[in-house]
Amino acid sequence: MSQTSPSSSRRRWREFLTAMGFLGPNILGVLVFTIFPVLFSVLLAFTNWDLRLHNMYKDNSLNWVGFDNFVRLFTEADFVRFLGNTLFLMMGIPFAVAGSLIAAILLSKDTRAGGGRTFLWLIAASALIASCALLTVIGMGTSAMIILVTGLGCGMLALGLTGGVTVYRTFFYTPHFTAGVATFLLWKKLYNPRTGPINTALQPALDSLTVAVQLLSPSLLRGAFWIALLLMATLFAMTLRKLRQSWADGDLGGRAMLLPIILLTIPTLVTWNWERTRAASWLLIVAVAAILLWQGALKAIRGRQHHPPTPTYGGGTALINALMIMVLQLVILGLGATLHALPAMAADGLAAPQWLHDPHWAKPSLMIMGFWGALGSNNMLLYLAALTNVPQELYEAADIDGASPRQRFWHVTWPQLAPTTFFIGVMSTIGGLQGGFEMARTMTKGGPDGATTTLSYFIYIEGFETGRLSFAAAVAWALFVLVFSITLFNWKFGNKYVND
Amino acid sequence: MKVVLLCSFVLLLLSSVALYLSFPDVASEVPVIYWVTDPNPARQQQVQLFHAWMTAEGHTTADGKPVVQLRLDTANQDVSKKIIQGVSGVGSDIMDMGPLHYFVDIGLLQDVTEWGQEGSFGPEQTHPAIVPAITDRGRQYAFPCNVFTNMFWVNNATFRKYGIEPPTGRWTFEEFEHTGKQLDAAANPPGQRRMVFLAPYVPTQLLYQSMGLSALNESLTRCTIDDPRYAAALELKHKWMFEDHILPTAADQASFDTESGYAGSVLQLFNQGNYGMFPMGRFALIQLRKFGSLDLGLAEPPHGGFPNTQIFTRCASIYVGSENKELARYFLAYLAGEPYNMQIIRDADGLPPNPLFMEREEFSRPAEFPNEWGIHDAFAEAARSIAIPQIRSEFVLTAVLERHLTDCENGFINGRLTATEASRLATRRIDEEIARSLIENPHLKPLYRQRLAQQAEIERLRAAGETVPSDLIANPFYRKYYTFKGWSR
Repeated sequence: MSQTSPSSSRRRWREFLTAMGFLGPNILGVLVFTIFPVLFSVLLAFTNWDLRLHNMYKDNSLNWVGFDNFVRLFTEADFVRFLGNTLFLMMGIPFAVAGSLIAAILLSKDTRAGGGRTFLWLIAASALIASCALLTVIGMGTSAMIILVTGLGCGMLALGLTGGVTVYRTFFYTPHFTAGVATFLLWKKLYNPRTGPINTALQPALDSLTVAVQLLSPSLLRGAFWIALLLMATLFAMTLRKLRQSWADGDLGGRAMLLPIILLTIPTLVTWNWERTRAASWLLIVAVAAILLWQGALKAIRGRQHHPPTPTYGGGTALINALMIMVLQLVILGLGATLHALPAMAADGLAAPQWLHDPHWAKPSLMIMGFWGALGSNNMLLYLAALTNVPQELYEAADIDGASPRQRFWHVTWPQLAPTTFFIGVMSTIGGLQGGFEMARTMTKGGPDGATTTLSYFIYIEGFETGRLSFAAAVAWALFVLVFSITLFNWKFGNKYVND
Repeated sequence: MKVVLLCSFVLLLLSSVALYLSFPDVASEVPVIYWVTDPNPARQQQVQLFHAWMTAEGHTTADGKPVVQLRLDTANQDVSKKIIQGVSGVGSDIMDMGPLHYFVDIGLLQDVTEWGQEGSFGPEQTHPAIVPAITDRGRQYAFPCNVFTNMFWVNNATFRKYGIEPPTGRWTFEEFEHTGKQLDAAANPPGQRRMVFLAPYVPTQLLYQSMGLSALNESLTRCTIDDPRYAAALELKHKWMFEDHILPTAADQASFDTESGYAGSVLQLFNQGNYGMFPMGRFALIQLRKFGSLDLGLAEPPHGGFPNTQIFTRCASIYVGSENKELARYFLAYLAGEPYNMQIIRDADGLPPNPLFMEREEFSRPAEFPNEWGIHDAFAEAARSIAIPQIRSEFVLTAVLERHLTDCENGFINGRLTATEASRLATRRIDEEIARSLIENPHLKPLYRQRLAQQAEIERLRAAGETVPSDLIANPFYRKYYTFKGWSR
């Protein structure tokens, strides 16, 4: 047993005081400006604190209202609507993550001129320069923005040829340096329905499409809708079969099947709920019900060969797969419905979207902008770093086994990137749920028609426009519970997925 | 390292002390009061005028200096900043206000009723139409810095260019539509993007008000938007935007927008002839004068039977937590006085807060701007005759009321709702908000019950064909409307 001498004790005490001298202000700051407000807001959410009634100039007593503010959330139409907006905007996250990954993979290749690539780069640069000149010659010189953008593209290409991938990495990361508000204003200009470069470029293409649609038989395009329904049913059947097989092989627990099946039926419910597709939805409903019965019957008859360790085993993987299939089904449904309506839409000529001024397009507009931002975000940097950490021996082994580039990616790169993807997924989900305030405030003021009001913007409105601080705190805590639950879910299932 | 850190600490300490000593409050011999306002260059001159006025009025120290020093604070004009600073006890002494009732509800504003009577800045010193905007339940909380009456500025040259008689004075919806169609046909070649519109917008509120409808009932206890007149106003606006192309759509407006200056690009587009007219107060002249001697005219907003327009004010209030409230009140007295009012007249920064000064020759016929003669008097006349302040109920916040109305109107404009559905939805949401407000603020219930009794009495008198005593009507719109129709006494 060691004895502590008085001098060493004094020294440790002195060291402790010195450390606290440095850390103290920071700890105090975190306590006063972070921990205390967070704890205080918990209490706030259970009171009737209203700025109009309770502040230093009003002597009304503060009352405990229990869970009233939380109960109110579910009766408040606005909360449900704005939660829907927030979740809708989050649908862009998988695309944004995929965009970051693709950007990182591209930026991990050497682009410096040399070898066989030079020829390809030169062709690309020449094509851009030629199209730029052509645009000027055919009279589109008035659209200076197109010339400018094409010219910039040429410049970037040329710089990449000489400076290598570092130049591109810098270009890609530039959006991250730029202040958010500045990029929001830039995108507002790009989305301008009449004078924005997006619609200026899109409208001639849509005019050509109008002509093409008018030449095609309307029944042909309408037939595409039925094909879309068939595709949706096929996807449902295939995924359900895969789930049953996994269950039979002991890779999937019984309870773990429930949530993926619910997710897979959502597109069918959307078809039934959507006015445009309701008339034909019965067919899909019948097909889905039949598939469910059939797979259920097979499950009961054939039983399982192996038993999973727990009833929730494999739930994370199944859920992610179901989620992706669900999004795919919804995309197919949207495309089918659009093709079905195309002849009618083209009758008066197809018009470019009104983007931020149309409630139906406002959210996708913000998602596209988010996708652009994600391409050059920290996520891309994380992926770049992770790519450099993939052991080369694995690629060499794959090459020896004769793996194609696609197989190299799916069986080597993608599994090695799983921890990074997991981290990015968790952080993006948290950011997605909390975000949207700056965009809404700068670009749309939450409109049009409340289409871009997210929960974070709603908290601001309730807190400072109406003074209902307790209700705003309740919304904030509801948001926290949502974030926490999803993160917990991610940790529970996603972590297992990563480690498997 | 220790020495370096210690030196840094001492340096920071000294810098902090130096910074503190440089604060105007510390450096000044007299108390300093802060005025939170916009960064208009005219404010500096107004501060100088205030100091000169203080000296002239004898509010000076022994050595002849004003007893208080006024400083501008243009960084904290945002409403949320004012609220947060106010409830934290560190608000500015004087605050510029738009609608002040929310601040009164929070308790941030000093009641200046008695000071107003003593210091000649009571409600009787300003425009009668704007009194509801500076008072709350009979108590005064502010005095106007300037007053805005929305009228349609007309670029006569634009109309004459297309051979159309420029509008002037009072006109109906039909005349407005007819002129708009004429302008559209003459100025916009078929098959090309429309570049000329009659006006950038017409406030929806003016449309349904001119048909005799207000968003709230006479006692301000219930929403009354679920009415065919509201639906008709929405449909009319939709027609003007999408069928007649008299007004630009949101997309057309966005294509014009330059995101700069107040009113965005409207004034530049008016000057260039893209808009034949636009609704704004007299303060539009601050910008319009920069365009040279325009051929200007003025028209009232179009009406559907009851001519009316909106009247607003940017007013100054004293922060209840100010340590210099007694001194800050001099500023409100200054706003009612000659130097300030004449400066507002010269700068054309809205109407002067004290209407007495509108009788001056400098107001009606400014020597430097003969092209404006007649216009100033028209604004003054509108403030006297047809102007109605913003509707404000104790039972629903104005911002919330407007948010619901705007949301539902947008729902209709974007095709999500029919006009009738929009009016029903707005009514339901606003009535729910009133009910919620009464639950959350039980102290409002006696007033609410009293107002309900007033409403019942109004309805009884109306049903019996009798006139209604004016003081029974809490809604300023209906006070005016009932007088117009001869229904009140």
